[in-house]
Amino acid sequence: MSFRKRHGIGDLGVGVGFRTKHYPHVLETKPAMDWFEVISENFLVAGGPPRANVERLKDAYPVVPHGVSLSIGGNAPLDDDYLRRLKAFVDWLDPPWVSDHLCWGGAAGLHIHELLPLPHTEAVAAHVVERVKRVQGFLERPFALENVSSYMTFRESTMQEWELLSTIAERADCGILLDCNNVYVSSRNHTIDADAYIDAVPADRVVQIHLAGHTDKGKYLLDTHSDHVCDAVWKLYERAIGRCGAVSTLVEWDDDIPEWDVLSEEAATARRLRASVLSRGASPRPVEVRP
Amino acid sequence: MSPAPPSLVELQTSLMDLLRRDASLSTDADASARAAEIATGNDRLTGVEQVDIYREQYFLRHVGALREDFESLAALLGEDGFDALARAYLSAHPPTSFTLRDLGHALPAFVAERAPWRDDALVADMARLEWAFVDAFDAADATKIELAAIASMPEDAWPLARVRLHPSVQLVEMAHVAEDYRSQARKLLAGEISELPRPEPGPRYIVVFRGSEKLKYIDVDRGAFALLAALRDGHALGDACERAAATAEMTEQTFQEALGGWFQSWTSWGWITALERAG
Ligand SMILES: [Fe+2]
Repeated sequence: MSFRKRHGIGDLGVGVGFRTKHYPHVLETKPAMDWFEVISENFLVAGGPPRANVERLKDAYPVVPHGVSLSIGGNAPLDDDYLRRLKAFVDWLDPPWVSDHLCWGGAAGLHIHELLPLPHTEAVAAHVVERVKRVQGFLERPFALENVSSYMTFRESTMQEWELLSTIAERADCGILLDCNNVYVSSRNHTIDADAYIDAVPADRVVQIHLAGHTDKGKYLLDTHSDHVCDAVWKLYERAIGRCGAVSTLVEWDDDIPEWDVLSEEAATARRLRASVLSRGASPRPVEVRP
Repeated sequence: MSPAPPSLVELQTSLMDLLRRDASLSTDADASARAAEIATGNDRLTGVEQVDIYREQYFLRHVGALREDFESLAALLGEDGFDALARAYLSAHPPTSFTLRDLGHALPAFVAERAPWRDDALVADMARLEWAFVDAFDAADATKIELAAIASMPEDAWPLARVRLHPSVQLVEMAHVAEDYRSQARKLLAGEISELPRPEPGPRYIVVFRGSEKLKYIDVDRGAFALLAALRDGHALGDACERAAATAEMTEQTFQEALGGWFQSWTSWGWITALERAG
């Protein structure tokens, strides 16, 4: 049985990230939107407006937390204080899944708030698998790993990023948050085949898809979440939906955040594309599951 | 739990050092050599340039986060001045918390001690005030008690009673009349004024707090401020009053006369969440 089925993870439709600029509009007028994603860390505070706002959001929409500080691939022990606070938040929010990134963000007691890529090696896979199992067990909730945008490649790497991600997801038995923009950014930065990436990810494990814009810095693309989703990423999204079926989708926009209507229209575009792919009868193809 | 693979520890330790360098890695032969050992590079970027992208992001993100929390300090010091402070601070206090919200926690003490910033008391004033805003903003919620609940306490129970302040209440003693400096700074940033007027010398006793989900501040008497400080530090009311009267150089009588009015205001602002009788 697929990861989604086993955990009863359904389709939330197409949502957007909950960002400060839109708090008043969203909380006061409750505009039509399928669901919201919140950055967990912003709400792991004692009290005040952040907690009050997410409570109001939760009363009106499905809300799923997305973390940036877990540092699942770091060599330091997992941050117990962080995990305890995350668990309390997640227990209160009661979302269908929880996600963070396949990356590392610090070492030796420091948190540098970056989503740094990991070398693609067997040793790294084994290290991350063990930590994902612990996190998933501790949170008592399906956990999904997101592929990150990257700007460097390691001499040590012996496999493709999608192999690392798939291997970890299968062995740790966790979900995947497939970020189509990150696939695109990394594929352009490292001259890899984005279609092959999408095709290689175990479709039954994809619990969520991210869409976002990026910035062309000339010699590389930077994952800025500051623009519309580009055509190439929409194509990857269609491909991903074709393989994975009706997967909850989220538009991320974190910099140069536009008016609500623009953001909402971006989600509507995703909704239309998704519906048209799904109506083509492109039901998920059988996926080979590694024993 | 099995230990992390040694090669990963080595790589991450090395990168952590490289990413926190304050200058482009290409300017340092040793750093360049180490970055090139780690990253492959491609047909557009060398391995050193790849690592440098992350190094730049490290500074952009953290200096940017500090600038957001300390916007009037940034306006006071100017673009380059604040950048220099932020970089010196990051080097002395690299981020140790999972959340950027905690990043500036040591900045008030840092500017009070370090040259050249320690030479201008307004810098320390603004750092303390703006950090108080950060702490007040997301402090724990608590239900306030009404003045009636306080008034109903028998007089003989007062000296040993403990007054609990709302967790958002922050006490900021300032050397300048600068509590409005942030709104001035915002006007400067918005182009509404062309320069920031230098605030008058203080002292000034400011209480920052959260009322109806909004951040607020008010200046209070020196005596009231001293009493709040003693109560916050856990002293029983009688002891706190004695300490505060001494600090504020007030006679016991004038202090006692002021007390009723203070408690009236404090409860109306939601600063008091419990009055606990001894025993
Ligand atoms: Fe993402």
